Amino acid sequence: MSAVPEVPAAPEVRRGHVEIRDVSVRFGKKGQATEAVSRVSLEVKPGDFVSVIGPSGCGKSTLLNIVAGFMKPSDGAAWLDGQAIGSPGADRGVVFQQYSLFPWMTVRKNVEFGLKMQGHGQNARESAARTLLGLAGLLQFENHYPDQLSGGMKQRVGIVRALATSPQVLLMDEPFGALDSQTRTVMQEILTNMWQQLQLSVLFITHDIEEAIFLSEKVYVMTARPGRIKAEIPIPLPRPRTPEMMSSPTFHALVRQLKSLIREESLAAMGGELGASGLQGLDGHIGSAGIKALT
Amino acid sequence: MSTAPRRLFEEVSPAHPPDPGPPAIALVRLEDTLRQPAAPTPPAAATVRPRFAERAADALREHGPCVFMGACSLFGVLLFWHLATTYRWDFYIRFNNIPTPLDVLDKVMQVNANGKFITNVGMSLRRIFLGFAVATVAGVAMGLAIGRYRITRGLLFPALEAMRPIPAIAWVPISIMLWPDNEVSIVFITFIGAFFPILLNTVSGVQAVDGVLLRAGQCLGAKESQLMWHVVLPGAAPQIFTGLAVGMGVAWVSLIAAEMISGQFGIGYFTWEAYSLISYPEIVLGMITIGLLGLACSGLIRFAGRALMPWLSFAARSGAAR
Repeated sequence: MSAVPEVPAAPEVRRGHVEIRDVSVRFGKKGQATEAVSRVSLEVKPGDFVSVIGPSGCGKSTLLNIVAGFMKPSDGAAWLDGQAIGSPGADRGVVFQQYSLFPWMTVRKNVEFGLKMQGHGQNARESAARTLLGLAGLLQFENHYPDQLSGGMKQRVGIVRALATSPQVLLMDEPFGALDSQTRTVMQEILTNMWQQLQLSVLFITHDIEEAIFLSEKVYVMTARPGRIKAEIPIPLPRPRTPEMMSSPTFHALVRQLKSLIREESLAAMGGELGASGLQGLDGHIGSAGIKALT
Repeated sequence: MSTAPRRLFEEVSPAHPPDPGPPAIALVRLEDTLRQPAAPTPPAAATVRPRFAERAADALREHGPCVFMGACSLFGVLLFWHLATTYRWDFYIRFNNIPTPLDVLDKVMQVNANGKFITNVGMSLRRIFLGFAVATVAGVAMGLAIGRYRITRGLLFPALEAMRPIPAIAWVPISIMLWPDNEVSIVFITFIGAFFPILLNTVSGVQAVDGVLLRAGQCLGAKESQLMWHVVLPGAAPQIFTGLAVGMGVAWVSLIAAEMISGQFGIGYFTWEAYSLISYPEIVLGMITIGLLGLACSGLIRFAGRALMPWLSFAARSGAAR
């Protein structure tokens, strides 16, 4: 098996360049099709951490599915390192919102799965998986089944599994959405520490504003359906990031800015009449003081 | 490039101003604690005896009531049978001609004196295993294809659905005409009985495999055949085993009926022949033997299921009321 590349002892870090150019997605038959995503262009530079946030239903997960290769855009295309993306492949590691570990495999077998599909032998797979699990502090659970793990641990194994094949980019679709808030905070710190070490290319989908700011170098804000890019906001917070930064004035200013952008879109997403009459009164009551109190 | 062997997921910083409680590192540890406690360390040699007695007592406390209730239930049936046949109860249901438990026990000794009875049992078991094995292979293979691909579903499923309501026993005459000898036709009837439960359960098992697992497999680089073998098949396995258990039950029903109608040899034939020869204890012996064989076969499937799907013992299950 000389054709099979050697498995590196430590995860090899590859930093791909993802581009989405003029992508539109329409559902339904021609003539009465509804547009879910409209002419979206965005970019993840090599080694960049990019988040996409927007109100629910704005098509942010659709964008990730296009980059992952699970669906094809109606117009436009997604590119990875200059190559048009067609079908799913191991060069794009995906971490899903739902737990997606194979319940019939132990933690280590889950991590080995991608290498096995590439044809690596048992010994090479095992040592690579053990190295990765050791780096992630999960080695003692290598022979556990996913149903024996807590939610946060499952997602950590999910991230390790996605990294095992040394993907060009890590795609994360609200990966902490199903976790309780404490675990979620810890996972955000773990992820940001990991990124600071490895400097992977990451495309991160979320609806959580603080999460997007804390983790990212750049945040794209999407409009309500049909989803467009409404704003592209660089995050100037220094690295390494610590939880204390969440109470810094810069962080608060960013939260305020993103919140007002998202809020307009959420109102639009909830429908014209409701937004116009019902909530404008409420708006007057809470106002800027309310937002200040919240942040 | 390869990274230095530092920790991939560094422990989060201990300073965590918004949370004056335990440091965040404790949170990691907390959420890392397992639902299943680790197995106790093996006892030292000196303490084996008391530990064994302790464990025996524990086992008795845990399983004792269950075993006791089971024994009561079986003993109740035997007692009723004994009383009803010894005193020849006759109240619309007539126990006049039914052999007593002791008659049947005598018969057990008798039939084992020569090899005829064992031969009959062996014949039935061989038919069951042949028919069931073919049904398992065909049912699972077709179930995977029908469950996963629209084209096979469209082409195969309507024909199979049209044949499904025909009971296996109704196939007996056609089966005798279809196959060159009697033995194959009985195996065919057994196959028909087992095939449909296995097929239907496999189809629904395949369709119930979580889509996110399929997508996870794809983006880890699995090709269609790999996806089928490593994701779809194990994902559907629990329901396939349900199908196997049901299929085994129906296979026995079909086998006994086929043996009674067209058989030479076999435990069903033995039972029916006993009726023709007015040898009543043998009828009951045949029935009990069929029951025990059926129990053993479904036990075997349960055992295989547990051995092949160890992960299921950790999955969240809905429990029955205690």
